[in-house]
Amino acid sequence: MAETIQGQGGLAIDVRQARYVYPSGNVVALGGVDLAVEHGEIIGIIGQNGSGKTTLTKLFNGLLKPTSGSVIINGIDTAKRTVQQMAPHVGYVFQNPNHQLFARTVQMELEFGPRNIGVPEDQIAERVAEAVEFFGLQEFVEEHPYRVSFPVRKLVGIASIVAMRPPIIIFDEPSTGQDHNTTHIINGLMRRLREQGTTVVCVSHDMPLLADVVERVIVMKSTEIIADASPREVFADKALMARTNLQAPQVTEIALETVVPLGGPVALTTEELAADIASRAGSKSKTSRSSATVR
Amino acid sequence: MSMQAALPIAMIPGNSIIHRINPLAKLVWVVGYVVLAFSTQNIIILYSMAAFALLLAPIAGVTRPLLKGALILVPVGSSLLALQIIAPAVERPWTIVDQLGPLSLYGDGVYYGFVLLGRIVASLLLALIMVMTTHPSDLFTSFAKLKVPYTLNFMLAMTLQLIPVFQREVGIIMSAQKSRGMKGSGFSAVLPSFVPVFVGAIERVQQLSISLESRGFGSNGIKTSYRQVKGRPSDWVIGIIGVLVVAYLSTISIMRGTWSLATEITFSPLFVLVTFLVAASLFACVVLAAVLFSFKK
Repeated sequence: MAETIQGQGGLAIDVRQARYVYPSGNVVALGGVDLAVEHGEIIGIIGQNGSGKTTLTKLFNGLLKPTSGSVIINGIDTAKRTVQQMAPHVGYVFQNPNHQLFARTVQMELEFGPRNIGVPEDQIAERVAEAVEFFGLQEFVEEHPYRVSFPVRKLVGIASIVAMRPPIIIFDEPSTGQDHNTTHIINGLMRRLREQGTTVVCVSHDMPLLADVVERVIVMKSTEIIADASPREVFADKALMARTNLQAPQVTEIALETVVPLGGPVALTTEELAADIASRAGSKSKTSRSSATVR
Repeated sequence: MSMQAALPIAMIPGNSIIHRINPLAKLVWVVGYVVLAFSTQNIIILYSMAAFALLLAPIAGVTRPLLKGALILVPVGSSLLALQIIAPAVERPWTIVDQLGPLSLYGDGVYYGFVLLGRIVASLLLALIMVMTTHPSDLFTSFAKLKVPYTLNFMLAMTLQLIPVFQREVGIIMSAQKSRGMKGSGFSAVLPSFVPVFVGAIERVQQLSISLESRGFGSNGIKTSYRQVKGRPSDWVIGIIGVLVVAYLSTISIMRGTWSLATEITFSPLFVLVTFLVAASLFACVVLAAVLFSFKK
């Protein structure tokens, strides 16, 4: 029963011509989407509200079943499985942690998921301890989940999913309502999860966050995927950004206006842009200011 | 999880005569229907009331949703009739009209079963028509004219409006917990889903009260409503007719000792048998369907 973090070979996410039409009425929420994600990839999904991002991710863990087409996750066809059966394979971190916390202590909250998917008791303790360590929740273990601050609650929500050790984790708007510091922590967590071999899918409107973390961006518009490329390519495509009413990170826009015409990089982070500017300035006066401005 | 999951019984927008009647006049009729239904045992009156209510449905343009809402009567009605026939809620002696295996079917139960059913059908149909043709705000505006305290009125209105919000919330929470492998049924599912719902409800109400106060809720002065409700002469006429008819018929019923026609109307054994079989099998089907549905989930 206990799944290892490594996948079972093949693709992590294999969506073919998936369509989803809401049963009540004729609202098409997803119109024939193809998507292949390798194990260990870290991808971002962007698009305006109503473009089908959430519908697509809900197909991944079987909360929704495709009206037509197929969704194969970790080698398993979601159409024949319940959400509970998919839970060991796909973790889904909901936007609002208040929607899932209920236990008396953070510890018990973290134990809920692994116990549900049938992890043996001794391994539950081990997994929970690891998740606590990973998220730095040591001082909150005995606290009531609703007594801790909102950012910590968010981390508890994520930790409760990570403790189940799913090979694929979906984050729905992880940075909404979070301060800069927590966003930074969540950023780091996604990167570390990925280093451990977890496939990470992040749905977000937070372009700087995605530019910083993901290696591949899926752009959705009107229920379809219209672009699938590296963040550098996507954010450099002004026409695409305009067409989808999305805005590239400010630093990328500045880079596009300034250093890119001079042969500089399409910067995704302030550090990158600063380094390029510094190297250009440095050719005139060789000061070590660059590292000072970067931090 | 459909986003349009509103209440199964909600207002159907429209501009029919029934929609335009003053909410209070309609309320008089609904209350009158309940009073009359429970003061008489005359099935002719009861089923005339139900027929009258059904007649109003096409005028209001709510026939389909009304019949859909009235589906709740199938389990209620079928169990009521079946049980009354084998165990009447009237004084003994009972007269056995037929025998079905170990079960004795009593004639007295048939009449009384139809009375009970008639009461529910008549009251429910008219109440449903009222709910389906009245905007909640109009009802509360009318209450305000009756000098019902504004705060109380507002609480009632808010409670109704929060129901769909909570329904949606429950949907999200169930999805979140199922994603963590929660088994979607049984007692073990109660705690993980209801704690977040209640905590969310309390937080929402707290926020709502703050936002209300910041917009001057509870300040002095006369409250006006965005929606205006008129009390036209026709509304008065409808209301007064309702009161008079109900008063007249219920007074006669009470004076005649519930005006029961049980002795006048007798049912043939075949009719009793068929009624029992239909009612019992309908109820069995409903129970079976419910069980199968819960297993499928």
